[in-house]
Amino acid sequence: MLELVDLTKRFKQNEAVKNLNMFIEKGEIVGLLGPNGAGKSTAISMLSSLVEPTSGDVRYNNKSILRNPGPIREVLGMVPQEIALYDDLSALENLQFFGRIYKLKGKELQIKIAEVLEQIGLTDRKKDIVKTFSGGMKRRLNIGVAMLHDPEIIIMDEPTVGIDPQSRNYILETVKRLNEEKQMTVLYTSHYMEEVEFLCDRIYIMDQGNLIASGTKEEIKQILSSEHTISIKADRWNDRFIEKLKNNPTIHRVKVEDREITIVVPKEVNMFATLAKMAEEADLELRSVDINAPTLEDVFLHLTGRALRD
Amino acid sequence: MIGILLAKFKTFIRNPWTFFIFTGMSIVFALMIGGTGGMSSIPVPVSSADDIKESAIGEALEENEVYTFNWMAEEEMKKRVSSGKAEAGVILKEDSYEVIVGVASSNVEMIEQTIQGVYVEKRQNEKLLEMMGADTESSQQEFLDNMEQSIESPVFSIEASSFRSADAVVHDSASHSLFGFTLFFVIYTIAYNVLSILIEKKDGIWDRMILSPVKKWEMYVSNLLYSFFEGYLQVIVIFLVFRYWFGIDFNGRFLEMLLLLFPYVFSIVALSIFITACVKNTQQFNAVLPIIAVSMAMIGGAYWPLEIVSSEILLALAKINPLTYGMEILNGVAVYGYSLEELLFPISILILMGVVFMGIGIHLMERRHV
Ligand SMILES: Nc1ncnc2c1ncn2[C@@H]1O[C@H](COP(=O)(O)OP(=O)(O)O)[C@@H](O)[C@H]1O
Ligand SMILES: [Mg+2]
Repeated sequence: MLELVDLTKRFKQNEAVKNLNMFIEKGEIVGLLGPNGAGKSTAISMLSSLVEPTSGDVRYNNKSILRNPGPIREVLGMVPQEIALYDDLSALENLQFFGRIYKLKGKELQIKIAEVLEQIGLTDRKKDIVKTFSGGMKRRLNIGVAMLHDPEIIIMDEPTVGIDPQSRNYILETVKRLNEEKQMTVLYTSHYMEEVEFLCDRIYIMDQGNLIASGTKEEIKQILSSEHTISIKADRWNDRFIEKLKNNPTIHRVKVEDREITIVVPKEVNMFATLAKMAEEADLELRSVDINAPTLEDVFLHLTGRALRD
Repeated sequence: MIGILLAKFKTFIRNPWTFFIFTGMSIVFALMIGGTGGMSSIPVPVSSADDIKESAIGEALEENEVYTFNWMAEEEMKKRVSSGKAEAGVILKEDSYEVIVGVASSNVEMIEQTIQGVYVEKRQNEKLLEMMGADTESSQQEFLDNMEQSIESPVFSIEASSFRSADAVVHDSASHSLFGFTLFFVIYTIAYNVLSILIEKKDGIWDRMILSPVKKWEMYVSNLLYSFFEGYLQVIVIFLVFRYWFGIDFNGRFLEMLLLLFPYVFSIVALSIFITACVKNTQQFNAVLPIIAVSMAMIGGAYWPLEIVSSEILLALAKINPLTYGMEILNGVAVYGYSLEELLFPISILILMGVVFMGIGIHLMERRHV
């Protein structure tokens, strides 16, 4: 339905997005994951016809939107990364304003506003001025405003940045519900891999303007299919044990924390016996040894050598 | 478009303080500077025999708004002049005077003219009284009082003063500073309203509107229209206060004067969008606006009449300054009593400036990515 073809954006010397290829099908929740500065917002702005790409194309139903952005704008709900609301107006007045610019009026507008307020859980606070809202409430209203005209596709740019866990869960649940009940297509941008993992069917991972991985959750994690992450727990460590781990040629990586050591080993190796023997020799009592399923965080670490979050 | 305007009005009603502050400041400044004239008066030392201070001459000098005459002994006065504390001093006698000049300046000439005027008037009054045959002291006094009353209008008087050149300049200081401060402060009200375009762009509200069915031109027109409205409302409020509270009748052309403010307000809206398009962010705007507004006010003659400016550069700059033409229109209507045809030139210039600034401003605004 929506397609990005070799999309590139250059700001003077800085290439914010390089040859990005993506597609989104009707009814999907697609995640766009990447650390700050990866180029997510820039990609979204091009996709929504707000920023002109340096090269490449954006196609909606097989027609380029670069010359004729009308069709995409009609069906698009955009939740920007910054809170784009009138601070001095109430939640209700904001919804009225953004509803009116979508040509909604009278009864129709009222009904729509009531529905959206319910969805974002702000019905009780609708008369309050936005300035007085908490970060989470502003974020929710920021989303609500984009839903007034019943968009088919909703694009959310980091909608949970800087808010409390409850509001965050609320937003995630809302997105999921919209997708399930209204078959709304969602493009969800975030630098939190848990969110993307929870919500999305398919995921694109960006870093420094490049697409570094894409596919379903399972497909992406297959990248790490040849390795296991094992976490070892104990009340305390001694140097002899850590030394042994580090010197073992089959162990790729050792990360020592207070009560937990994480190691990365090839999948086919059975480490249990080896670890038990090492602990015995080092005179150390282990509490548990677990094999972890890889996370997207691990994938990102694997692909870039850096953590997703700063 | 109606939706955008509605949102603006609601924001205004919720937060009208900036508007009231600038409106209030215009009124207060116009009253302080124009009303009493005390703030800008220059001290001049005088000495004389005691009876002159109490006489008609002394009284006339006391009433002068441009200079404050400080009475002192001749020795003291001469010391002030020679030490440079005063530009000039005056010794008053019964029928003549002496001016002691420290530094030859235009002020000295004006002091001399002022004093001369007082003596001429005194002599005229004496002649008049002689002719009228008023001989008792009380009848003399009554006659003089009557005459004085009929010459002076109560609060805001028209005073005629000559500056360096020989041509007389009619300079109504009260109306002048009223016009000046009104045109000056309204720049702020308008500019800060136009600035909201930049703020809305930065906040992403503008992007939301671009994605909606609202047209670009509607977004600009409603923003600019609203800024125009608030600016115009401000000048109307100020002039209404002076018309009905302080009773200035603006030459009986009050309505006409309000209508003729249209081109000025329009040109300032246009100038504001131009400035907004040139700055990078709100901080820069905050830094630049006072510089532009204050220099416009100084060069355009909001603080003092342009007639006393002689620098070629400043006069040239005044010609490309909307405020100059705004003052010209207001003074033209309310002080000099010009006809509409005579005002056609400043009106056309303002409209032309407005169109040019707005064209360039919107063009620049569209070309940059905020
Ligand atoms: N308008 C712009 N002008 C110049 N550089 C920009 C602009 N917008 C974004 N960039 C740069 O492009 C890169 C990607 O930014 P962005 O798309 O905002 O990343 P993300 O949303 O993933 O955090 C960053 O290095 C950023 O500095
Ligand atoms: Mg971003």
